[in-house]
Amino acid sequence: MVNQKNARLAALAFTLIFVSTIAMLLARQFDLGPERPSPAFRTFGPANAPVHIYEYTDFSCPACRGAAGKIDEMIKVFGAGLRVSFKHYPLTGIHPWSLQAAVYADCAGEQGKFREYGALLFENQEKWAFVKETPKEFEEYAGQLKLDWPKMQACAENPETKKLIRLEMAEGDMKNVNATPTFFVNGHRAVGAGQLIDQAMKFDNLLKKGAQ
Amino acid sequence: MTQKKTETKEIAGLLCRLIVGGVFIYAGVIKVLAPAEEFAFAIESYRVLNAQLSLYAAYAMPWIELYAGLLLAAGVFTRLSALLTGALLASFEVMLGQAWLRHLPVTSCGCFGNSKSNSLAHEFIQNIGLLVLTWAAFKYGGAWSGDRLVEKP
Repeated sequence: MVNQKNARLAALAFTLIFVSTIAMLLARQFDLGPERPSPAFRTFGPANAPVHIYEYTDFSCPACRGAAGKIDEMIKVFGAGLRVSFKHYPLTGIHPWSLQAAVYADCAGEQGKFREYGALLFENQEKWAFVKETPKEFEEYAGQLKLDWPKMQACAENPETKKLIRLEMAEGDMKNVNATPTFFVNGHRAVGAGQLIDQAMKFDNLLKKGAQ
Repeated sequence: MTQKKTETKEIAGLLCRLIVGGVFIYAGVIKVLAPAEEFAFAIESYRVLNAQLSLYAAYAMPWIELYAGLLLAAGVFTRLSALLTGALLASFEVMLGQAWLRHLPVTSCGCFGNSKSNSLAHEFIQNIGLLVLTWAAFKYGGAWSGDRLVEKP
């Protein structure tokens, strides 16, 4: 009798564990987890904008350079209708300096110049992205933008700076991001600038209404 | 009179079971749906495990919390589930207590994922409250449980 009772309970426990595991894995697959905000210096546009784009980007990736122009254009055209948040997803396996570039861009962001520093990194990508030694361009661009270089270095050496980027990479992995640039337009995925435009078109009414 | 007393205790036990189970389910789900690295960074900040072990713990712990919470809330192997939950809470107390004593700069306790946490002292005391509820669930948590359900012919 006791054994039968235990067997029933074990079956019940197994069912609970099995069902909850499947439910959680499905929730992960359908990306039902909460969206983590990007730091304020990497977010542009009003908080109440009807369309919110998250972009997973890599400063060494040529396609991201192309998409950066499109995003800038969209920010200009749709103004208050659009909010854009950048998230780092450096493809460290193929781009040796992409993580470091993301770190320095964030450190420039702490001094209020994330976009400007990022623009310089994209613009001159072929100069630094595949060099053998640590690119001197990181310091050069900081100089051009009149950023405090010792402060930037201290920020780059702070483990917390890299932690934030690694966390975003892990978040990207969970969302099955495996190419850059990957966008989430109000939660809908788009890979590359072409798909971004297609997705954004679906929210055309909202974008235009918000821009007015 | 005695029967009424027993009923009250059983209802209290059921409530305790649901509260502690619910807290564990919530904590587990929040963390299962977030990147393990996030919880791993929180574990690392207690300076007990190294980065690699923290990551392994961060992969496993949310699932254990979820299962323990589910089994306790549903009253399946109630006493065993309450013991497991109590053991988990006790281990959290050890982690929190040592960090509190060492004045470690723990900014997020990792208890509920990325959400902002209270001070270590606050979390420590809160856990003591949960331990008391777990004890009550262990002692009187038989009502409306899976254990009772399978007893019926």
